[in-house]
Amino acid sequence: MAERDGVRLLALPPSVALERSIPALEDVRGYFDPDGVVIPGPRRKPRAVARARRVFVGPVFHPPLADAGPVTRDELDGFPIVTVQRGAMLEDAADALEGALSIVDHVVLVCDDVTTTVRPTALETRLEYAAELAAAVPDDGSGVTVLTGGLPADYDETWHLERTGEPLGVGRDPVADLETGDDVVSLRIHGTGAVEGHGDARSISALSLSRDGAVAVETVDADAFGLEAVTGVGPKTANRLEQEGITTRRRLLETDVETLRSLPGIGRDRAERMLAHAEVLETGEPRRLTDEPLPGENWERPPLCLDVETDGLSPTIVWQVGVYDPLEDCHRAFLEDSNPDDPRSVLQAFLDWLLGVHPDRALLTWNGWRFDYRHLGAFINRYLPGYAEEWDRVPKLDCYLWAVRGRNALLPGRTNRLADVSSALGYEHAGTGLDGAATAAAYERFTRTGEVLEWDRHRAYCEDDCRALWHVYDRLRDAPRAEAVSSESTSERAGGKTDQTGLSDF
Amino acid sequence: MASERDEREEWTERADDVPVTGEELLETFPGYHAEGDVSVLELPGRDAATVPNRSVLRPELAGALEHDLYTHQAAALEALAAGENVCVATSTSSGKTLVYALQIARNVLEARASGEESTAYVCYPTKALSRDQERELNDVFADLGVDVTVRVYDGDTERGETRRRIREEADVVITNFAGVNTYLHDHDRWARFFRACDLVVIDESHTYTGVHGMHVAWIVRRLERVLEYYGAAPQFVLTSATIGNPGEHSEALTREPVTVVDEDGSPQGPRDLVLWNPPPRVREDDRSGLEAEDGVDDGETPDADHERLPATVEAPRIFSHLTYHDAQTLLFTPSRKLAELSVKRATKHRSDREYYYANPNSRGDLEPYHAGHSRRKRHATEYGLKTGRLDGVASTNALELGINVGEMDATVQLGYPGQRQSFWQQIGRAGRDEKRALSVLVAEHRTLDQYVVSNPDYLLDEDVEDAVVDPGNDAVFAQHFRCAADELAVDGDDVGTFASRDRLERAVEMWRRAGQVRGHLETGVSYTGAPRPQTDVSLYATTSEEYEVRLADGVDDRHDPEMEPLARERVLRDFHEGAIRLHEGRQYEVTNVVHDVPNPHVIVRPVDVDYYTRSRSEVTILDAVSEESREIGDFTLHYGRGTVLVYHGAYDEVAVHGGRTKTAGVPTGNPPLEIETQLCWLEVPADVERALIEKYRDWCVPDMDGGDAAHVGYAGGLHAAEHATIGVAPLELTLDKRDLGGLATLTIDSHLAGASDGEHGGESEGPRSFAAAKAVVKAQADALEREPASGWFVYDGIEGGLGFSRAIYENFEAVAARAREHVAGCDCGRVDGCPACVMDDQCGNDNQPLHRQAAVDVFDQLLGNERRDALEAYLPDDGHGGQRRPPLFYS
Repeated sequence: MAERDGVRLLALPPSVALERSIPALEDVRGYFDPDGVVIPGPRRKPRAVARARRVFVGPVFHPPLADAGPVTRDELDGFPIVTVQRGAMLEDAADALEGALSIVDHVVLVCDDVTTTVRPTALETRLEYAAELAAAVPDDGSGVTVLTGGLPADYDETWHLERTGEPLGVGRDPVADLETGDDVVSLRIHGTGAVEGHGDARSISALSLSRDGAVAVETVDADAFGLEAVTGVGPKTANRLEQEGITTRRRLLETDVETLRSLPGIGRDRAERMLAHAEVLETGEPRRLTDEPLPGENWERPPLCLDVETDGLSPTIVWQVGVYDPLEDCHRAFLEDSNPDDPRSVLQAFLDWLLGVHPDRALLTWNGWRFDYRHLGAFINRYLPGYAEEWDRVPKLDCYLWAVRGRNALLPGRTNRLADVSSALGYEHAGTGLDGAATAAAYERFTRTGEVLEWDRHRAYCEDDCRALWHVYDRLRDAPRAEAVSSESTSERAGGKTDQTGLSDF
Repeated sequence: MASERDEREEWTERADDVPVTGEELLETFPGYHAEGDVSVLELPGRDAATVPNRSVLRPELAGALEHDLYTHQAAALEALAAGENVCVATSTSSGKTLVYALQIARNVLEARASGEESTAYVCYPTKALSRDQERELNDVFADLGVDVTVRVYDGDTERGETRRRIREEADVVITNFAGVNTYLHDHDRWARFFRACDLVVIDESHTYTGVHGMHVAWIVRRLERVLEYYGAAPQFVLTSATIGNPGEHSEALTREPVTVVDEDGSPQGPRDLVLWNPPPRVREDDRSGLEAEDGVDDGETPDADHERLPATVEAPRIFSHLTYHDAQTLLFTPSRKLAELSVKRATKHRSDREYYYANPNSRGDLEPYHAGHSRRKRHATEYGLKTGRLDGVASTNALELGINVGEMDATVQLGYPGQRQSFWQQIGRAGRDEKRALSVLVAEHRTLDQYVVSNPDYLLDEDVEDAVVDPGNDAVFAQHFRCAADELAVDGDDVGTFASRDRLERAVEMWRRAGQVRGHLETGVSYTGAPRPQTDVSLYATTSEEYEVRLADGVDDRHDPEMEPLARERVLRDFHEGAIRLHEGRQYEVTNVVHDVPNPHVIVRPVDVDYYTRSRSEVTILDAVSEESREIGDFTLHYGRGTVLVYHGAYDEVAVHGGRTKTAGVPTGNPPLEIETQLCWLEVPADVERALIEKYRDWCVPDMDGGDAAHVGYAGGLHAAEHATIGVAPLELTLDKRDLGGLATLTIDSHLAGASDGEHGGESEGPRSFAAAKAVVKAQADALEREPASGWFVYDGIEGGLGFSRAIYENFEAVAARAREHVAGCDCGRVDGCPACVMDDQCGNDNQPLHRQAAVDVFDQLLGNERRDALEAYLPDDGHGGQRRPPLFYS
């Protein structure tokens, strides 16, 4: 992990703290290496707190318990953290906040009663305890980040409030042209609760809080830790293994296939697969499961690694196309940095280059059928229909489709996001501080306000993704093949042939 | 007499007539019926009106058609040729499918002539209908000799390669709106199909009303913006049963101008329409075993007021009788269970009367039919009908919609289906070519049915109900907004087409604050919440909060009822802990209801008990705000919004046998349901109120709490008027009575938004208790400075509203006139009415107090039927006695 300018807080949902085994929680500790832990409220979960304290080294915060009083002020590596038990008590935190802000620039306020209420019949979303918050924070609120278990950890919005708590809007843009301009409070509100869409096991998030107020979040499935991180091990199997004294992946690796096969419901294939994946996770070395060639690996020249940036998930422009050519070890970026109303030029430049300079090369993406190819195809069809046929002919490969969905390889990394997979495979990221959402939001702001982006930084972010992709591809190319573990999975494989068009249907 | 008989026999033998006429049915049916209980109406037939094919169609199509086009088909095709959207609203089997089939053929031929493609997206309301129509369309195209690939693409279509090929190759894709809702997420995969789309067909469009209609209207809007993105600007064809407002309804669904074609040119044979009120129930011990068993089996509550045999018993007998007499008959039942049960009862009816049904050659092959059967079984039944192997089928409304089963000799309806539109659609199933057909409506003992059989003119009236679709519900809009932003960025181009700027901006701000969208209207708003917001849309509810139905731990999976998820409203009403629910003929007990978790659910286990449960309800209204009002005479009618609390706080256990209440008032443990919705209310002028209070001052309800107060008679009048208003509303509007609720009150003002509490006062405290809500109403009543007005509310029983209260507000006089007519005309002879006039089985106050005549008086004053001085005699001499009224209200 890189040197941190700030602290890392682990947001551990109470159900995760209660239901995961101790070795699994120790694995969480090892992976995130947090400075402190938050158990999100607003319900009181004393047993979850006790369990977290048993495993984690730093302080464990759980405001609903108020074991050190309704309002507390702690320091985490010099970073002040104020907790408030109930929303109605927020104003009592004013002194603590003011005191903290007299020493440092940023302070974290944890109160789980803060949440949003959506009232669709009134087309309105309200912030609960907005008035109390607005009254409690000093100055314009910019020094305070509010954390709340009342919202999921992917919630991150800045609320602009009148001092009375009346909401004026949300967003990064400062509130301009308001009569009440002098007395506007802007508060960054960040969730710590479980994130939707992570299944029954829920999710764990780590919040990296910088001393300048920046917050970055990483969310991982709760069952990506301990034995269950191993493919083929669900809660039941994990339980059985634990009963046999096999409580960690390291212990699992020391177990032989025959011992595993003696457990109910585990056949040879599954046992071998489990061992293979445990080894991948422990060593960080990927493993190929099948004889299926990696798309394009036998071709004369390697594919070009592609990554695109848009202005949102439902894009109105593909404003950056980055292509890394591993053969020349050089990167090209096609960028629309002057006229965001013109989605055509950047695509035309990219296509002219691709079809002119590299008429015979394939493209490679990470999950491109879901994003990059999908949107490029749609925009080309719409804005450059004359190129559509040529574009259709370009071989398009998808490393993610082959490895993950096609189950042709086992990867280290707790998620299948490119950033995680490449890091786990030893790729050193450039550290631009950006992610897809941030770069899209920045471009959207540019379109709307003309506020210019740090183009180099955004170019570097896209390039970093292209290079990370090549790193993954390269490692997979050289990865050893696991033996005799493929039979179980072949029938489920999608794609596989080099002309991948797959994607399971909906 | 003898000669008359001979004449008739001669008549029935004529080949072009139905095996049994209405009069013959009356004469031959065993059992008693009183004079006046049954009436036979003879409806004349109509000749076909046609137009030569060649005047409308290009020669290659005109030549391929066997018959000339009916005038309505020709008119529709001409409008389409002129680039218009068309709604064809004509009778069952009038050849509506041919209209769009020909239009598709024209489009395809034209496109191919210039080397292009033309596709059509055809949406049916059910999957069953989709499969049926796929065959139908294929037959038409085969006859026309045009090579058109028609494919069904819905939840049953095999995933993967099959789907991909359909998207990439089909000329016509048949689907349903639940499918369109989800497929729009991946519109890029449909790029070819959408780009070439020239026609969107919405078949049976009249079925899209209420909540479901609102969802469909928004799905159509989302489809339109995606089609526009691909450069397509298709025409719309809607086909509809006869409804009152086909143009308005079509335009609400599609947001496009639509030309209505409703001059039906298809021929129709004459029809005997029999309106059949079952005979009075004989005394319990006189009954044959048959009814005793039957009556209880379907949850019938033998009630002292139930003076007639239920239609559930009588209709299967008529069905049985007709099939014995060689009339192939369709019996329409209101539920799947009754479809099954009716076949059993019909068979038993015959075997119990072997002396009468003695002809051994009459087989009596009967089958039930409903959507719960497998597709194979349904096809076999459809085929059996078509080929004549089956003599009769008892079906839910699954056979009401266009599935082709050929034409029957007769139909029997078990109860009035609720809508004229539905009524005609169902009886339209009988009538072979231009032969005489027979249709029997067996009435239930309840408001609508009794109204219809005693006012046959109502059925024959040209007017049909309006279908209500109201895209104004923001809760539904908000869900589809998220989907739209997921499909394509929502931006300035959507202003005025998808929604108004103000509405879009409010939705953007709401979802931005909730962390579900990013961006701005100027540059494009994307959805950023959990993947596939489309799957959160429940097409039959206004909010996405649904409860899963799970089987209790340790119960074998084969008992899994496999119920669809339940809307919160239903859970609070019918799925409280301890509730006994019947599902697909099996009993389940609700053992637990888990509300406040991310995946709320209901846990059930199979049981076998001898009781069922019935929840009680209480209703109050808070914070009503008038948005519009108008005068009717010196009455004032308001339309607005407010909060309705419906509290199913207790339930009764009722014996299946005998209908006695075994245990009363068991707490449900459920919180009240709080809905923010649309409502309308009527304020009665003070002098009418004063006079009527005096007029009925001496009337009392002995066994009711406070039943001897001076106001009770008048309050009973308001309560009865409220029930009647809701009871007859379906006569004017396409709605389900259960979607409407009402509240009669002596203190309307105490239900209005008070100036005292702030705009959002108390809302953040979560669900309020019902007792607290009542206390608020009482406190407001006590604090009133002026004497409050009395009257009644009618509200939409669905979060955000459905537009029904709005429609009632606009049509109040017509609804009130029907209600008055009905209440005054009931021959129950009781002051407090009967289930056929003002009693309502969903009443939260046990149908007390109710006063028919007081209700009639209120209606007469409202409608100007009575002069005000008619009441003068009752007005107290000294102005008003100054007695403070209690804040009484009745739902």
